[in-house]
Amino acid sequence: MLSRRRDFLAGAAGMAAMAGIPAVAWPQAKPRVTFISQWSAGSDGAAITGLGKRLEEEGGIWQHSPVPGFTTEMMNKLRADIIAGNPPAASQLKGPEIAAWCKIAPTVDLDTPVAAAGYEKLIPAELVGLHKPQGHWIALPMQVYRINTIFLSRPAMARVGATKAPATWAEFNELATAMKAAGIIPVANGGIRWDDGMKLEIALAGIGAEAYRAGIMQLDPKALKGPEMTAAFAQLRKIAGWMDPTTAAQHYSVHLPKFLKGDAGMLLMGGWAQGVIKGLGGKIDDILIAAAPQDEGQPCFVLNADSMIFWKRPEADLQAGQLLLAKLMMQKDVQEKYSQTTGSIPVRTDVDLSGPAWSDGQRDAAAALIEAFKSKRVLLSLAHNMAQPNQISAAMIDVITEFIHNDKVSPEQAVARLAQAVDNARG
Amino acid sequence: MSRAGPARGPGWRVWIGKSLPLAVIWVPLLINAAHVVGFTVWTTWLSFTTSELLPEYDWAGLRSYRAVVRTENIEIAYINLVLYGVGFVGLATLVGFLLAVLLDQRIRGENLLRTIFLYPLAVSFVVTGTVWSWLLNPGLGIQKFVRNLGWADFRFDWITDRDMAIYTIVIAAAWHAAGFAMALFLAGLRSIDPDLAKAAQIDGAGPLRYYLRIVLPGIAPIAIAVLVILLQFAIKTFDLVRALTGGGPGIATTLPALVVYDFMFQRGQLGRGSAAAVLLLLSLLLVLLPYYAYAQWRARRERAHG
Repeated sequence: MLSRRRDFLAGAAGMAAMAGIPAVAWPQAKPRVTFISQWSAGSDGAAITGLGKRLEEEGGIWQHSPVPGFTTEMMNKLRADIIAGNPPAASQLKGPEIAAWCKIAPTVDLDTPVAAAGYEKLIPAELVGLHKPQGHWIALPMQVYRINTIFLSRPAMARVGATKAPATWAEFNELATAMKAAGIIPVANGGIRWDDGMKLEIALAGIGAEAYRAGIMQLDPKALKGPEMTAAFAQLRKIAGWMDPTTAAQHYSVHLPKFLKGDAGMLLMGGWAQGVIKGLGGKIDDILIAAAPQDEGQPCFVLNADSMIFWKRPEADLQAGQLLLAKLMMQKDVQEKYSQTTGSIPVRTDVDLSGPAWSDGQRDAAAALIEAFKSKRVLLSLAHNMAQPNQISAAMIDVITEFIHNDKVSPEQAVARLAQAVDNARG
Repeated sequence: MSRAGPARGPGWRVWIGKSLPLAVIWVPLLINAAHVVGFTVWTTWLSFTTSELLPEYDWAGLRSYRAVVRTENIEIAYINLVLYGVGFVGLATLVGFLLAVLLDQRIRGENLLRTIFLYPLAVSFVVTGTVWSWLLNPGLGIQKFVRNLGWADFRFDWITDRDMAIYTIVIAAAWHAAGFAMALFLAGLRSIDPDLAKAAQIDGAGPLRYYLRIVLPGIAPIAIAVLVILLQFAIKTFDLVRALTGGGPGIATTLPALVVYDFMFQRGQLGRGSAAAVLLLLSLLLVLLPYYAYAQWRARRERAHG
């Protein structure tokens, strides 16, 4: 019975082929990708949709199920899918979480396509390590943002006679003091944890890049309690004093209009703020984008990257889809399109950003990335969960956000608490 | 159509007639019990294991509890719970009782006012939190409004002050729940025999004395119920804080339920999250057991008297 039906189907297919009818893609199915992420709207949504379209142009099927809202909600869905034995072909996941999550479900070995693209030499070693946690490529980065970026309101600068971005923390402090005296809120900010966490990482990276690498990324106890860390907290105390006192638990973008009007002077924020400012109708010409202050005289790059992890699936069409997606994600043109949509910079360090589709801010960040890549001064962001797994970053950010909002804590006490929090989170 | 009596009908009908009520009661009860008890036991078990991203069943003893208790978060959370619990229950009860007393004066438009006061309860905590976060924001809400009226030095910036921020949650939560307390108190006031009021009047008791000596003892059981309901509201508060202050400034307004969520879902530490959840359950029992004992005592006393 069964074999007779199979004969019949084969016969029918043969007839269709003979008749020249374009039969359904059978028996070979189209490469297909099932994907979950939190990117549903805005420029992130547009960028991922663009990537999906590209996959379809290459003959694939793109099935994206966005889980909008916080990253944690997306991760809860991913966890549920993994427990149910039905993970997506690929999902959003970043930083050290890739190493943590690849232990709970099997992943795809991407070594062959990565080697074929000669990709490993093109991207910073810090990123390579995050995406091949057990010696094999299992995930791929899609875009990079510079964290240590400063945005200056040109109207506010004009009011205090400033013409260039502060290059060192001393210049920053001088400019902030002048702005404060002129009745301008020196530092525009939000009131959310990661916003606070970023301030410390920008301060520390600008004081000592190696101290950052040893203290924040490697959790070396000596560097965690080192003089650079104390200096960073002391600088953070100054920054906290210059912050907008009215931001309570609100996203920094809520208070951006003040910055655009020149009522607030400086914004320490990742490169994505450029897209947000554009979205609010702000004029990019009114804003000066530069690297955040750097006392060591040569640029360092505090990096945040969005990535995808590839989960092992038995279906042939999903496996083909994963290979196709991986190949596309490493291509120059795909990365260019993606970064132009979101305002980030490409992961590859061999992309030319001189074209009109890129902004000065993106060019500046890309140039800094290339230079830091060469001088090995690429650092991984703490507040955006690139340097440490979630439990350790969260414990460290607890200390930082408490420090910002409680001026009775001295920098020395904060350093001690930070080391204590790391110990406790690891224990 | 003649109804077949149970005795004369076929056996299966009798059987259904007897077992249906049992099924209706017992099946949902068992499912509920399995859910509540089952998951409580599971969570408790997880709290003694090494679980991180996924449940694992390697015994770790009290390690998670030690780690949780050592964090500053849990310490701040429980101090906040006491401040917030006392403040919220006290304020909501007081405001609710006052509103009920005022509404009880046989005023016109009582139905309308009652609906208005009860309305906040129909609003979700997230909406309450978001609206109050705007009202309390010094740059946008009440402070700015009063300053624009001409009082230039007016300050009301509790939400950005880490020592006062917890009281903004008290205010928002009391706004939310006062109407509920009012409704219960009003029902209690209405259940007091009007003759008693007349008798008190004839005996020359003033309104204060009337309320203190007659009304309050009369509605004591309702007051206890209000307190217990509000207190368990307070202990499980989560979404209000999340929307109002996000636990900030810093971690100044975090509460135990936020700590549980934080460990379980944001830090990927199921073991520690479960330990924090078990601690939360224990603190809930701290409230419910005395109430249970009180209810038992009351019941026994009533049986003895009546």
